[in-house]
Amino acid sequence: MESYNIWLIIAESVLLLIISILLFRKSSELNKLLEKINKMKMGTGLLDGERDYVAAMVHELRAPLSVIKGASDLLLKDATNLDTEQIHTLLSQIKENSNAMLKIVADILDVSRIGSGKFEINKIFANLNDTLKEECSYFNALAKVKGIKLELELDENFGSFGFDPDRIKQVMGNLLSNAIKFTPEGGTITVSAKRYDHNVEVTVADTGVGVPDSEKGLLFKPFSQTSSHTRSEERGTGLGLVIVKAIVEAHKGNIRVEDNKPSGIKFIFTLPL
Amino acid sequence: MAKKVLFVEDDEGFFNIFSVPLKMKGYEVIHVADGARAMDKILQEKPDLVLMDIILPGMSGLDILKEMKENMDTRDIKVVMLTNFGNDENVKKAVEYGAEDYYMKYNVVPSELPEKIAVLLGETPESGIKVTG
Repeated sequence: MESYNIWLIIAESVLLLIISILLFRKSSELNKLLEKINKMKMGTGLLDGERDYVAAMVHELRAPLSVIKGASDLLLKDATNLDTEQIHTLLSQIKENSNAMLKIVADILDVSRIGSGKFEINKIFANLNDTLKEECSYFNALAKVKGIKLELELDENFGSFGFDPDRIKQVMGNLLSNAIKFTPEGGTITVSAKRYDHNVEVTVADTGVGVPDSEKGLLFKPFSQTSSHTRSEERGTGLGLVIVKAIVEAHKGNIRVEDNKPSGIKFIFTLPL
Repeated sequence: MAKKVLFVEDDEGFFNIFSVPLKMKGYEVIHVADGARAMDKILQEKPDLVLMDIILPGMSGLDILKEMKENMDTRDIKVVMLTNFGNDENVKKAVEYGAEDYYMKYNVVPSELPEKIAVLLGETPESGIKVTG
């Protein structure tokens, strides 16, 4: 039994080492590529806005990449001196930051499709309340960690209709993660869905820091960040709301933003029944 | 006695990859994630060195640096800026306000950070002996 455990530990260590080497090599190559893009972008004839876009993209990819590179470097050089908790922390950082990079890449791909008019949704006959409940249940756990209440007010007055559940989950995911980021402890996020004539109106309202009127117009522009984005973790790509708008409009709906008095903001989007 | 490094960083990933090698080399690492609380913690802990990000919630790293260098109780503490924002204006301000050094996060190999810190503190991290003369 004891020898089995030793072989298991050796096998895990070898696997860890191989993963670390691969990650370290890949992240080094990618980092060099990002440096190149950064240097090249000035002489490419890109417009100012496009240059900003590339610069923002490089910056957003570089942060998680630096963490992946740093963590794999430590695992590679000092694995024998690290304790189990430190190894777990570093591997968790590699996983979290790899997921963050995948999300950024998926967002960039979506925005690129939106820009070229190739963004498509896949409508099926489904129940919107079920989709909203499922997404809110996932985000409720995250809200609880931050001491935020997540309330759901659903109208049972509409049944199933044609929409893309995966894309609507993406819309809710973006709106809810933003709401959680900008709502302080003790705050409330309310998700409601109501039927108005031939539309369903979904509202995500928070009691967070809100957005000044002068910056509301920036919210749906690529890579824009409002003054409320002060934490590194809160910066994000600035692509989420661009994608949200595109998804809602692909459903022939619309989205607007309003103040949630006395504090916070609410996003309201409609979907035709 | 272990030297104290106070690390002002709101990104958990960067805090972990840079604090692990420092702890391995025997430094005591104190974490502050909120810029607005950094100055109080620095006054309370009196670290040997402050590692600081620039973009922080509550108060920017450059503003904290300026306040530290204007305060008699904290002006002699060494400060190293560790950031992803390497534009000339930030570097110029950091130097003007009195930072010892300015590192770009993606250029620093975490396992080599303790060595850089040791040089700034005039010691070898393994022995903790101050290098004189």
